[in-house]
Amino acid sequence: MRLLSSALVTLLTLTTFSFASSSSVLVVLDPSLDRENYSIFFGGLEKRGYNLTFRAPKDTSPAITDYGVSNYDHVILFAPDTKSYAKDITPQSLVGLLSENTNLLIALSPKQTPLTSLAAEFSLILPPPETPLISHHPARSEPQTTIPVTVSSSSPILTPGIPPVWFTGAPHALGSTPMLVPILRAPAESFAADSTSDDDSDALVTASEKGGEGLWAGSQMGLVTGFQTNVNSRVVFAGGVKMFSDEYATKELPSGGPPGNALFATDVAAWVFQEKLKLRIDAVDHRRVGESEVPKMYTTNDEIVYTAHISAYDSETSTWKPYSGIDDLQLEFTMLDPHIRTSLPPVPGSPGAYQVQFRAPDRHGVFKFVLNWKRKGYSYLESSTTVPVVPPRHDQYPRFLSAAWPYYAGAISTSAGFFLFAALWLAGDVKGERKKGSKVE
Amino acid sequence: MPAAYPLPSDLSPVTVANTASLLRIIALALISGAAIASRLFAVINFESIIHEFDPWFNYRATKVLASQGFYEFWNWFDPTAWYPLGRVVGGTIYPGLMATSGVIYNLLHALNLPVDIRNVCVLLAPGFSALTAWATYMFTKEMKDESAGLLAAAFIGIVPGYISRSVAGSYDNEAIAIFLLMFTFFAWIKALKQGSAFWGTITAVFYFYMVAAWGGYAFITNMIPLHALVLLLMGRFTGRLYVAYSSWYAIGTLSSMQVPFVGFQPVRTSEHMAALGVFGLLQIVAFGQLVRAHVSSKQFQELLLAAVISLGLIGFFGIVGLTYKGWIAPWTGRFYSLWDTGYAKKYIPIIASVSEHQPTAWPSFFMDLHFLIFLFPAGVVMCFRTLRDEHIFVIIYAVVASYFAGVMVRLMLTLTPVVCVSAAVALSSLMDTYLDPTEPSVEDDKSESSNTPSTGTSASRPATPATSKKTKKNKEKEKEKEASASAGSVLSELVSNVTSSAVAAKSATTAERGVFGMDTRLVVLLNSLGLLLFFVVHCTWVTSNAYSSPSVVLSSTSSDGGKNLIDDFREAYHWLRQNTAEDAVVMSWWDYGYQIAGMADRPTLVDNNTWNNTHIATVGKAMSSPEDIAYPILRKHDVSYVLIIFGGLIGYSGDDINKFLWMVRIAQGVWPDEIQEPNYFNRGEYRVDSEASPAMRDSLMYKMSYYRFAELFGGQQPVDRVRGQHVPVQGPTLDYLEEAYTTENWIVRIYEVKKDDVLGRDLKIANAFNQGKKRKRTKPMSRRKAIGA
Repeated sequence: MRLLSSALVTLLTLTTFSFASSSSVLVVLDPSLDRENYSIFFGGLEKRGYNLTFRAPKDTSPAITDYGVSNYDHVILFAPDTKSYAKDITPQSLVGLLSENTNLLIALSPKQTPLTSLAAEFSLILPPPETPLISHHPARSEPQTTIPVTVSSSSPILTPGIPPVWFTGAPHALGSTPMLVPILRAPAESFAADSTSDDDSDALVTASEKGGEGLWAGSQMGLVTGFQTNVNSRVVFAGGVKMFSDEYATKELPSGGPPGNALFATDVAAWVFQEKLKLRIDAVDHRRVGESEVPKMYTTNDEIVYTAHISAYDSETSTWKPYSGIDDLQLEFTMLDPHIRTSLPPVPGSPGAYQVQFRAPDRHGVFKFVLNWKRKGYSYLESSTTVPVVPPRHDQYPRFLSAAWPYYAGAISTSAGFFLFAALWLAGDVKGERKKGSKVE
Repeated sequence: MPAAYPLPSDLSPVTVANTASLLRIIALALISGAAIASRLFAVINFESIIHEFDPWFNYRATKVLASQGFYEFWNWFDPTAWYPLGRVVGGTIYPGLMATSGVIYNLLHALNLPVDIRNVCVLLAPGFSALTAWATYMFTKEMKDESAGLLAAAFIGIVPGYISRSVAGSYDNEAIAIFLLMFTFFAWIKALKQGSAFWGTITAVFYFYMVAAWGGYAFITNMIPLHALVLLLMGRFTGRLYVAYSSWYAIGTLSSMQVPFVGFQPVRTSEHMAALGVFGLLQIVAFGQLVRAHVSSKQFQELLLAAVISLGLIGFFGIVGLTYKGWIAPWTGRFYSLWDTGYAKKYIPIIASVSEHQPTAWPSFFMDLHFLIFLFPAGVVMCFRTLRDEHIFVIIYAVVASYFAGVMVRLMLTLTPVVCVSAAVALSSLMDTYLDPTEPSVEDDKSESSNTPSTGTSASRPATPATSKKTKKNKEKEKEKEASASAGSVLSELVSNVTSSAVAAKSATTAERGVFGMDTRLVVLLNSLGLLLFFVVHCTWVTSNAYSSPSVVLSSTSSDGGKNLIDDFREAYHWLRQNTAEDAVVMSWWDYGYQIAGMADRPTLVDNNTWNNTHIATVGKAMSSPEDIAYPILRKHDVSYVLIIFGGLIGYSGDDINKFLWMVRIAQGVWPDEIQEPNYFNRGEYRVDSEASPAMRDSLMYKMSYYRFAELFGGQQPVDRVRGQHVPVQGPTLDYLEEAYTTENWIVRIYEVKKDDVLGRDLKIANAFNQGKKRKRTKPMSRRKAIGA
């Protein structure tokens, strides 16, 4: 019964999943953070149709999961300084949520918390505890840990032209995992130091040159970094929680003008809650040229047409729409190794369709059409279709070969010879032949 | 003429002949019945099930043939075998067996007998064993007479050496191949005797059937030329030999090339060159004979002889040269392993790893042939006494097959028929001598009866159904005597000296020999009868106990005599069939490939058709490597499940840990840098306990075998009942695989290969994280220093 109900719940979550308008979000908010101070961010989310539920880290209800099934589509974890959580929030359970397609927005801080060890699983390398990001540039009246960070416009996640955002918190270094999606980089002149005073910054450089902790400085460090898992669930780690606050959203920049915090937070939330850059393969289709049915198997050297239909999610209408914007899609025809790797261009005039025609290799075996498109920020597109490629049937080989003429000549001459011999034998002198025959016997 | 016991004298020769032939027919029918019945132990003890490994593939192929027709079968490409390479089944099998079953199946269905294809397959081997008995009867009749033929038929009907490959359910090529072998040989002897192109053609037709049915056809391909060559060298070249051989070779070779798997091999490989060479030699000799018949100059004949020899040499060196140039494929490894028994172990471990390719142990000769093995040399010696062309054939066959049977266990099968024939000739000679009521007397009236001894049943003057044949035979014999006067007489003298105590002398020596009285007769006859009875008892016992196990289902006897069936294999295969995706690839050692395909219907990486050594070595490497090295191999081949056989709990010795060294060896053959056999030994000992070598302990096979094994023993020291060793209480752990299913007696264990971690981590790290282990702090990569500087 329990199994049945959980299956039902799964079914329900699956069906409701794609509608952002009715998505449920659990916000785990540390009591020390004032909810009112985040009203712009949370209000914006509610305005966009998210159904927010608030809960303190140590509360036991509402539970994130029941019977292993997530109750929420997304979870915001704004408890950067909390050392102990209720039982259902552990690094393991959060990874479990991700494999169940629940998305996470997590704020970190310079403090050592359970989330520090979680970040390590995502190949984010955090500096030692209590080493916040410090920058002296640009000159400003705010403390040196409150930094206006210029937003790079190269990330597809962000709206182009966002003004600098205020940031306070810890940076992190990015590991080698290609699944990381850097969203906000630290300013080039910033560094992480284990005290808010400036005294030992020189000592830090010397120490790092001798080897040791390494230098926590420069624009290679990330401040806000996304991560897209193999099942396309998304998680964002923000180095500090304050950048989402109303205070920072309204604080004027040193250069004048409003900061980009509000817009930045909205963009990040839109990405992590699967509103943006969400693609899927609707269908793939393969056939011989000139045929309309999908064959069970191909013959070697067949001309094959492969079509993929891709659509993107449109959060405004909550629908999937054909998407032809990918220009670097590739198709592989693989048996252990790719035998053919070709680009799969969009078909002009038919939205969402990508098509290529190629000749099957002269090699029989079980091949796979492999579509594997992984770009930072976008949903991964993966598709694998297995088809056997068989040698020609016995009646598909060419009938007459010029190379086989010796055989044909042999067969024809033997037949003719036999015919002649039989004719001569029958017409010839019977007695003489008999005599000879008996002699041999 | 004094007689030891009275014979009815008021019977007309016609009645005797008719009765004898009726009795023969009844005897043959009974022998066929016995041959079929004794092969049904497996069905009665277990059920109507396909046995062992290869038969499962044959069965699967036959199902395709029966359900989709011949052309679909012919073009069948099996994408589930040898994943992802696939297998062109139509071009890589001998289709004779499946075609035979298909014909029988369609015939029965045309007669409105809706027999299941499985039952056709299960009962094909017993059915053909009856035909084998008949073919052996015909063959032996050509050697001696009908009574020897009946004995030979009875022997081959129940001899364990043949039953081992033809019990019900043992649906393998050998099931029909032995019948074809015997019938081809019979037709060859017949063709040779009569010099008949018709019989030569029949030989060729059955040779074609044999080629289509069994890879062992190469035995015929080389036996017949060898026989022809020996006859040629003995100066017994005749027109009959020429006609028989030429018609067999021409038609047989052309037709054998129609089998796709054989293709152009008959003209391109060394195994077939002997037949071609002898064919050419016969043409030359025949031409020489023709010329000699027309030209009577002695010098010319000498010239001719030289020409013949030089032509032969040119032909021989031509073949050698072509082989050297690569036009003719050299001998294959399997062929070399027949001459050098250590060859396979050194160079082709995959061949050496098959248990039936091991040299034969002496006791198995007795086990498989019982007292026939003692009569066998006597029978061969008897062949020397008459030494007609066909006897030379039996002698060659005996020598060659004895050697091969000593080299490889499975070739015991080719020895068995000739043993039966020889033993029947010997035993029937013994019977003839001692059943003959004629008492030796001073009068010399034995010269007439010596030629053809009377049969046991009629016990009178031998029936002469075909007098013309007999005279022909005599004529032949005289001819032969002229031809090999010296050799034959010397040999027969030698032989008669050796065997004078056992058999009555048949040569025309004047010394009076014979058997006096009933007592001597009874002593020998009762002894022979006793031997025959023991033979029957032995055959029945061996058949029911040793050769009737399907090996898919095992049985054990409990202390109270009850029988326990161990059905783990089918349990596991059924689990796979019911619980896994249809395209889930299962990796196992190649032994189980056919069974997985047949019973679980899942794609396999390797199977018993061991055509691709590298692919097998890949599996061997995966099994013998540590998990983290094996995992990429598994993922590359889309493996979803790994199946292993583990006998440690129940004491099933044919398990994968015992086969493991072969996996290591085969993998070492391809990756000598990564896998080394000595690493799996601890000071020269193969151990699985706490003394096991690190490579052994880390190998995937070891881990999968003993994973959670210790839990069964509740904290006590676990014991592996096959190896008799105590394995560590702290068992191995698995990171990249997880246990999916283990059967009741732990014989089959199935593991599921984990998918990639959702966060893209190494599965070992992900596992440690899930178990709550603290991770070592990572530091940013050193390239970051350069940025700072």
